[in-house]
Amino acid sequence: MPDPPRSRPRAVALRCSSPPNLALLSVPQDLRALIERIAAALGPDATPAQVEAVARATLSTQNGQPAPVPASPTVGAGPISGRIIVTSYGCDQPGILAALTTELFEAGVNILDVSQKILQGYFTLILLADLSDSGLSPSEVQRRLAVHSDRLGVRTLVQHEELFQAMHRP
Amino acid sequence: MSLELREVLETVQMTEADQFDIRTVTLGISLRGCGSRSAEATRQKIVDRVLRQAEHHVAVVDEISSLYGVRVANKRIAVTPVAIVADGLSAAEFVGIAQGLDEAADRVGVDYLAGFSALVEKGFTPGDRALVDALPEALASTRHVCGSVNCGSTKAGINADAVLDVAHTIKELARLTADADSIGCGKFVAFCNAVQDNPFVAGAFHGVGEPGVVINVGISGPGAVLRAVQDLGPDADFGTLTDAIKRMTFRITRAGELVGRRCAERLSERTGEPIAFGVVDISLAPTPAERDSIADILVAMGLEYVGAPGTTAALAMLNEAVKRGGLMAARHVGGLSGAFMPVSEDQGMIAAVEGGHLTIEKLEAMSAICSVGLDMVAIPGDTSVETIAGILFDEFAIGMINDKTTAVRLIPVHGKGVGEYADYGGLLGRAPVMPVSTLDNSVFARRGGRIPAPIRSLTN
Repeated sequence: MPDPPRSRPRAVALRCSSPPNLALLSVPQDLRALIERIAAALGPDATPAQVEAVARATLSTQNGQPAPVPASPTVGAGPISGRIIVTSYGCDQPGILAALTTELFEAGVNILDVSQKILQGYFTLILLADLSDSGLSPSEVQRRLAVHSDRLGVRTLVQHEELFQAMHRP
Repeated sequence: MSLELREVLETVQMTEADQFDIRTVTLGISLRGCGSRSAEATRQKIVDRVLRQAEHHVAVVDEISSLYGVRVANKRIAVTPVAIVADGLSAAEFVGIAQGLDEAADRVGVDYLAGFSALVEKGFTPGDRALVDALPEALASTRHVCGSVNCGSTKAGINADAVLDVAHTIKELARLTADADSIGCGKFVAFCNAVQDNPFVAGAFHGVGEPGVVINVGISGPGAVLRAVQDLGPDADFGTLTDAIKRMTFRITRAGELVGRRCAERLSERTGEPIAFGVVDISLAPTPAERDSIADILVAMGLEYVGAPGTTAALAMLNEAVKRGGLMAARHVGGLSGAFMPVSEDQGMIAAVEGGHLTIEKLEAMSAICSVGLDMVAIPGDTSVETIAGILFDEFAIGMINDKTTAVRLIPVHGKGVGEYADYGGLLGRAPVMPVSTLDNSVFARRGGRIPAPIRSLTN
């Protein structure tokens, strides 16, 4: 497990209630470059829909301020949402992001945010997704992603977002 | 409020690299009302109650554990002290009750069921007497059942007759389970000031002031606290150390609170009756795994080994910081909420004993400030009943005078001596046999009666 990054912390958007604010990018050059980078990362087999899903999630974090989510007044109270955080880490190689996001896309999981970094040679992916429309449980998602993780030699975790909120919010 | 990348990575690092888990989700079940006219009817009612209330416990805890990706090391049950429930039965019939509880625990799939217990700080009822007489055979002939006896309290003083009886019980348990390094003693705890909502075995029981059914959670997480201390390096002052430990314990406790609440909620849905979430016990339980050690935290603070001068102060500081962070994180904190220093379950403790740096007397000093007591301490198998009683007296005096819980889980390993090991595997670990004083205390140990309760003024 790599050390957490010591650079300026970057916020992961927790709710994408409005369309991405494209005006904040110098459209169209930045946007085009961004889409091309995403398409390249996803590989030659990526469908347009996959590229769009990842692009929308990425753009939503470029809005400057991510939409706030109110902290739960009581830990472990209220209905359990469908939001999960997927973390994947291991030795870097091409195709990890593509494999995992393709699997999520095909399972009907809505990717809300994605962040990929190479930390000291280690591939690190953090992805926020909503399972509500997929009908899958987090453990089923974990099982489906494990097939790709094992093949690619990375470790992938699927954990409900509520754990992170509970541990890091007063 | 949005999550930051470093926060996500911090949690993942805790669950992946720091051995962070929840030590136990314990279902407390009241057995009041299960007493019946015959031993067989009582046994059947008790078994039926446990099977009905705990039917979904293991499955629900596994679901919640999987949902959050946080391992839960043990699923356990605590029941009303059986001496209260089945008062009137003979010792042989109490053994039968223990075996019924063991079958029920096996069927619902829990790791342990605790509460084969008696509260005798002021004296014995016939049921208390029968249960204490039954304890060696009851614990030796069952896999999951754990028992305890509360021998004293700050309000009542120390029942010296009970202390001697318990010393006999420990010796007999060791003999009956001799072929497994006297493992039976690992399932028995003697207390002063026992608490009613402790989720940790072997000393758990469901107190008479508790609701019908309740979920209590015991946290773990020494590995995460160890990293927080190590990251600060040797130059941080005690205030800085306290802050770092507080912050880490907040996260650990919050995870426990979340898991406990969701387990109680889902169990209520499954059983169709409301099951309360009780408390988080903020004792940092270690395991024999690498880095999952309380002793290593004290070493990281700047001690060569546990047992070095400063150990008691380091433990006091650690435990206060844990309490500050934990109290902030949970709605209700309870149980033992002290430092666990089980020798066999903590690699750093084992290393200190092996190096000759840690003695029973130093462990006793640590229990005076915040440690829960002498836990999983292996001693020579030929230690006399009176010597064991003397060790119990000393621990209980510390608990009684300081108005705190002290517990003793001693293992006089049958047929073994200093330099040898009792090896249990799993969470119970591997205990080096520690030397004990051989000075004669038999007259003192046999006096009997009751040591009076302490004065609550003139406190020096």
